Amino acid sequence: MDAEERELLEETLRKTMTATPSGGGLDAALTELGWPDMLAEEPSAAIRAVFRLLGETGAHAPLVNDVLLYEMGRPLGGALPMPYAGGKWVEWSREASVTGTAVDPGLPLLSVAEGAPVPLTLGRQALAWWLLGTGHAMLALARRHVLDRHQFGRPLASFQALRHRLAETLVALEGAEATLVHADGELSSLLAKAAAGRAALTAARHCQQALGGLGFTAEHPLHRHVKRTLVLDGLLGSTRELTREAGRVLAARGAAPRLVHL
Amino acid sequence: MTVFSRGMAPGPPADTYRSGLRAWLDEHDLSPGAGYDGSLDAQVAQLDRVRRELWDAGWMRYGWPEAVGGRGGPSALRAVLGEEVAARELAEPGLYSMVEVLVPTLLSYAPPALATAMVPRLLSGQEQWCQGFSEPGSGSDLASLTTRAVRDGDTWVINGQKVWTSLAQYAARCVLLARTGPDPGHAGISAFFLDMDTPGVTVRPLRTMHGVDEFAEVFLDDVRIPADRILGRPGDGWRLAMDLLPHERSTCFWHRVAHLYTRLDRLLDDAAAPGDEAAALGEAYLALHTVRCRSLTTQHRLADGARLGPETSVDKILLATAEQQLLDTVRDVLPGAVELHDSAWRTEYLYSRAATIYGGTAEVQRNIVARRLLGLGKE
Repeated sequence: MDAEERELLEETLRKTMTATPSGGGLDAALTELGWPDMLAEEPSAAIRAVFRLLGETGAHAPLVNDVLLYEMGRPLGGALPMPYAGGKWVEWSREASVTGTAVDPGLPLLSVAEGAPVPLTLGRQALAWWLLGTGHAMLALARRHVLDRHQFGRPLASFQALRHRLAETLVALEGAEATLVHADGELSSLLAKAAAGRAALTAARHCQQALGGLGFTAEHPLHRHVKRTLVLDGLLGSTRELTREAGRVLAARGAAPRLVHL
Repeated sequence: MTVFSRGMAPGPPADTYRSGLRAWLDEHDLSPGAGYDGSLDAQVAQLDRVRRELWDAGWMRYGWPEAVGGRGGPSALRAVLGEEVAARELAEPGLYSMVEVLVPTLLSYAPPALATAMVPRLLSGQEQWCQGFSEPGSGSDLASLTTRAVRDGDTWVINGQKVWTSLAQYAARCVLLARTGPDPGHAGISAFFLDMDTPGVTVRPLRTMHGVDEFAEVFLDDVRIPADRILGRPGDGWRLAMDLLPHERSTCFWHRVAHLYTRLDRLLDDAAAPGDEAAALGEAYLALHTVRCRSLTTQHRLADGARLGPETSVDKILLATAEQQLLDTVRDVLPGAVELHDSAWRTEYLYSRAATIYGGTAEVQRNIVARRLLGLGKE
């Protein structure tokens, strides 16, 4: 895929995600658009485009299932048990009738019994791109707000304390993106998911603060991104668990692997 | 790199260069010898030796133009060399990397004959150079500097004071910023290439909290610099200073990150039960991996011909944060190693406290991110 094709694809995806109701509707629309073929032909480009845009648009669809199924070499479609933080297991349902109990009320996530082991590399990349997109969505909301809103006779954006919070958010997101661009194996994907989870949680904290009372209301969209961050961070291992796992790898090897090279 | 970048030989691919370099270093052990005591004198002597050997064997010449004794190739080859020097602990990485800002400055701003005559002396370990930018009254606000240069016939007469000048006491030359114009801001600043043995130059090393007198104060009293030693034209000083940053934040950062990985490896060696510290070690590793990935992205952009700008403040923040986090982890995982014993860990821990200060403070970097990358307007 060259830059122009990628741009065109992203534009189409963005329109579809914005115009179609999330969940089953978007699932069907993306299948119609060729998601299964994209995944088969160029998995990492497809995962990057689709999941990052889910985050940026605030839409959702049960596509993590497909990513895991693809990595297992099984036919796409359907749902399977996935590991969640704390040794729990969940299923991201594709049934229209299912409503879950997750803090993010849109996501049809069901607690299920422990399932068969699943490969995690591509799934973690997908969730990391999603978290990154969600983080950017929160940052865009907070940025707009601090530029528009005045207090003490000045725009909020002129206060260094807020500027630094948003700067810190961008730094975390940019760092996470760098790890994702170079994620091509098990450990690098684990680290990318941890970096993206950490960045999205950082974004949630700083952007919520910058938005003040407004960001606490249900009318403002921020809370949806905050709740999505919480849920996605736990799926296939939380930031906290993954960093600890990386530390165990280091302890076992007695050295810190250099995963990327000039 | 103006005139020097034209007709640069392409140089070998990074992989070929690296494997050749490693094979050579395996045969030619440049590690500090038996008499090495870790003092600053010893560090500088070792640095001179490493540069000389690498220059004579040709490795140090890649990534630099032929007009200054180089063999061409991309700057990535210098990043590979610095990584290998850091990984083998052949030289202190901060001091080793100084050439990465000094040489590009000469190549861009010095008259070609001056660069051709001088640069090989630095790269080949014959000389050390320093960089006279900061002043007692001008730290983060560098543009407020007050050292003054007044034209007198075919010389400039300099008066003022510099501080935080690394290796000034060893340096033969100095890239010096001074005010030449009446303008109090950026526009009145010019850059000079000063011989440190010129009458009127006094150097006094600074004692610092980590016990290494790496920095010095430099006093300039009626110091006369020939007019042909100006770098660029009068008023180019600020642009020169800004042009340094991309060099500092590409190759130098790659070297530093490589050094920090060796520290993490050392910590894993020294920890009694690293498995019990998995969370803290994982956090430190994640921060290092993140800055390494970011730095690699920056290197790739540079190789693609991108002009590096304010986005390198992200690299700077990630690096300073990772460095302090790693050394904080050292102190947590090796109780007493910093506090109770005079060890390398103590020096490194204390030095890491400066990571959020030198090269533009953490706050200045966040201001740049807010203003230039997020478009938040003025404060």
